[in-house]
Amino acid sequence: MALTDILKDAVELGKAMGVTLRHLRERPVTVEYPRDSVPLYPRFRGRHELRRYENGMERCIGCMLCEAACPTGAIYVEADENDPHNPLSPGERHAKVYEVNLLRCIFCGDCEEACPTEAIVLGHEFALADYERRDFILTKEELLNPTEPNVIIRPE
Amino acid sequence: MTMPEPVTLTIDGREVTVPAGTLVVDAAAALNIEIPVFCSHPKLDPVACCRMCLVEIEGPRGPMLQTACSVPVANGMVVRTDTDQVKATQEANLAFLLLNHPLDCPICDKGGECPLQDQTMRFGPGISQLVEPKRRKKKHYLISDTIVLDQERCVICWRCIRYLQEWEDKPQLALFERGGETIIDVQDGKPVDAKTGGNIIDICPVGALTNRVARFAFRPWEIERTPSICNHCSIGCNLRLDTRTHTLRRVVGRENMQVNDQWICDKGRFANAWVSSEDRLTMPLLRKGEQLVPVSWQEALQYVADRLRSIKRQHGPDAVGGIGSAKLSNESNYLLQRFMRQIVGTNNIDHRDGGDVAALPTGLPALADIMKPQYGPNPQVDTVLLFGIDPSEELPILDLHLKRAVRRGGVKLVIAHPRKVELTRYGGPYLGYRPGSEATLLNGLVKAALAAGGKDNAKQPAPKVTDEDLAQICGVDPADVKAAAELIAGSERTLILYGPMAARGAHGPAIRDGLGNLALVTGNAQRLAYAGLDANSQGCRDMGILPDRLPGHAALDDQEAKQRLHRLWGGDLPDAPGKTYSQMLDASGDDIKALFIMGANPATERSAWAENLGKLDLLVVQELFLTETAAQADVVLPALSWAEADGTFTNLERRVQRAPRALRDPDTKAAPDWMILDHLANRLGVNWPYADERGITNEIAQAIPFYAGLTWSALGDQGIQWDASAVPQQPDYRPVAQPARPGERRAFALVTGTALYDGGGMFYRTEQMRNMAYNGIALLNPDDAAALAVSDGATLTVRNDRGELALTARLNDTVQPGTVWIPESGNPPVGDLLDGSGAEAVDIARQETAQETVQEAVSQGE
Repeated sequence: MALTDILKDAVELGKAMGVTLRHLRERPVTVEYPRDSVPLYPRFRGRHELRRYENGMERCIGCMLCEAACPTGAIYVEADENDPHNPLSPGERHAKVYEVNLLRCIFCGDCEEACPTEAIVLGHEFALADYERRDFILTKEELLNPTEPNVIIRPE
Repeated sequence: MTMPEPVTLTIDGREVTVPAGTLVVDAAAALNIEIPVFCSHPKLDPVACCRMCLVEIEGPRGPMLQTACSVPVANGMVVRTDTDQVKATQEANLAFLLLNHPLDCPICDKGGECPLQDQTMRFGPGISQLVEPKRRKKKHYLISDTIVLDQERCVICWRCIRYLQEWEDKPQLALFERGGETIIDVQDGKPVDAKTGGNIIDICPVGALTNRVARFAFRPWEIERTPSICNHCSIGCNLRLDTRTHTLRRVVGRENMQVNDQWICDKGRFANAWVSSEDRLTMPLLRKGEQLVPVSWQEALQYVADRLRSIKRQHGPDAVGGIGSAKLSNESNYLLQRFMRQIVGTNNIDHRDGGDVAALPTGLPALADIMKPQYGPNPQVDTVLLFGIDPSEELPILDLHLKRAVRRGGVKLVIAHPRKVELTRYGGPYLGYRPGSEATLLNGLVKAALAAGGKDNAKQPAPKVTDEDLAQICGVDPADVKAAAELIAGSERTLILYGPMAARGAHGPAIRDGLGNLALVTGNAQRLAYAGLDANSQGCRDMGILPDRLPGHAALDDQEAKQRLHRLWGGDLPDAPGKTYSQMLDASGDDIKALFIMGANPATERSAWAENLGKLDLLVVQELFLTETAAQADVVLPALSWAEADGTFTNLERRVQRAPRALRDPDTKAAPDWMILDHLANRLGVNWPYADERGITNEIAQAIPFYAGLTWSALGDQGIQWDASAVPQQPDYRPVAQPARPGERRAFALVTGTALYDGGGMFYRTEQMRNMAYNGIALLNPDDAAALAVSDGATLTVRNDRGELALTARLNDTVQPGTVWIPESGNPPVGDLLDGSGAEAVDIARQETAQETVQEAVSQGE
């Protein structure tokens, strides 16, 4: 091996070490997940939530338009009539069953778009791994009562 | 009548030739030009009130806007539907309709199949200029137990009002107030109780009238639609089953111009919650000790096979009986009789109202004969005699056709019925005979018809019956008998229709012969018809679910039929006639040791039968529910309903129609009838060649000559009538002996009958309809009730030598004085009072309830 080659390599090594040394002074780009987390964009689409009005009434009226809009058939709704003395939602109709199959969902947000009452929204929760297939089907109770309500209403 | 000349006109520059009298809107439809409409409906008279169909028609003063739905075509007429003026009018009209129409679409059951939605998208302005609040009216307003009215959504098109007036002849809805405040409401606060009132839901062009039973249970874009037929009465109305997630969500009418036009009755539309009920059997049950416990199919079938084999060996094949059901398909019934005849080797095979009834084999000539007068010339029927049949309660769509035929076609009605039934309101002779005196009345009619001239066959000696007999035995005014006979004798074509009520029991054959004589002397032999009342009453007879008839109405000793069946089945057939339905149940535990009951519930009909079923060595019940009969069984085999398996049904005019599988619960272990019988046959050592129901349909087409060619694919969506001339029916004149006097001497003659809202197993599972059911009641004439000091709702004791029932009194002036009407399928069963003579009588006493006694004591104390 010629001497020039050794010198060349040394220069290259020096350059590389320079990059490393320069970044030693900077903040890291990775985060220590799950201890830390990256900030989410406002329009991030995560786990679904069903919203309520301020007075506690469910926004969902069981119209099944989200089900019709869903491109993967991930949503299943059964509607029922409100008890006039004890209504769950404004008007005559509410959702008796509301299920989202997270294994099917592609988080496209079409359900949000279709919803006439802004009841179904995609929240910011994204850590959705689980152990049982059955647990990936979110029931109405789970959707109405997320562990941490974190909902952004998108302006469109 | 000659057809008028066709008319040629121009629409949007294209020429079209249509019959005179056609409306412009229909002429445009012939060119595939759509004119939007709301109030116009092909089955209703035009009113031109919604103004949506305005088009330009050239006139002497230039093009003028006129309503296409009410203007008939004329030669040389020039119509334009695409000008700016027409478009502006359509936009303005829709904007006005939408002014006060609430934006309920997401929660409205009509959303997705709503003409207002569709036309707003196609012809509407696209924007709304309304900023003011909308008018508020009544929402969620029940106009009956089954129909919800939303007055805000109504666009005042009059369709519901017109349907109830023009078809039902019951103006129960009307418009109130005026201008923008106009509302639809019921008359005098009385709910809509027309038996076919639910049709106004189908024809409502908006979501103002919705189905309470199916409320919020479906959205139009997500249901599967299966064309089927109704499972309730023998009209066989065409309908559509809407299903979702393996459950039945809704039933709507489907057009068949030979059967039901496009209307269906409320029972067919609403009483269907039983199909997807939680109570359905899902596992075979076997009695172990006192309990019925769920077992596997293998265990249940092996048990039935072993027990049947040993009972047959010990007591002979005639100790086994089979009961089929007129609620089940031709295939199920055909296979059951094949099982009983071929494998068990007995003719003990029958169904309710089967061998016990003096029926005729061919049913109505055609329902269209009665529908024709309203749609065009060339009437096939000009008079209808209803003998002991009440279409309003028993065959509601026939009732609808008859009303229309009377009002639009000039058909005359003659009604002979112990109860002054609803159709008597159209005048015409009414013969309110006493039960048991039918033969005398018919002799009177024949005599009067002969006196009035009769027809070609009128060479018979007149029956010896006097006016006194008619007045005293029948309780009928001889003048009415004379008027009725003269009307029938003077008519060109009279349809004579009778039902099981007249044909049942010991006097049935005499009544059949009496009607035959009347038909013969008035030249109507081809128009004498028996109508069974269940969905497949006709099919059961065709399939040979009778103790004395092989498939195809063949006699047991008909060698040709026997050879035909031998070729298909192999083996020999039993020769001796079997026992009828009632004979088998009477003899249960005695001569009959084992019964195989498919879809019947005799335990509710008579207490004695319920007791007898307990004495059987083996009772196998193939059922959908754990009925009173199934609860007594040794083995219960869970079956599938008409909506869950393929099948064909034959209606009262011999039309064979398909009812394809529309849904099936994926979790159930219940099996179709044919598969159960096929496996059972297999365990008894006979292999049948069927792969599915359609294979059996094909075998029926070979086993019954007049079903030849009626395969599954040939039947199509509208069904095919088999040719009545295949079963020749030329009645002889047979003198009819008349009973001296109705036997029993008691205060009230007992009349039983079928009620449409019967409260039976197929009815009460629809919660919304439970209030409408006729159950546990006795109808009394108000005068009789006053004499007995009975008020509406009082508890009565109705008794005779055979039994005693406690029933709730209802006052009803359609019941004749001196009679009491009790529905057939009630609890307690009226069967306990019947002896099969058809002339039963009862005593009635008021039962004092504890409360009444207290009240009386209080009032006396004052």
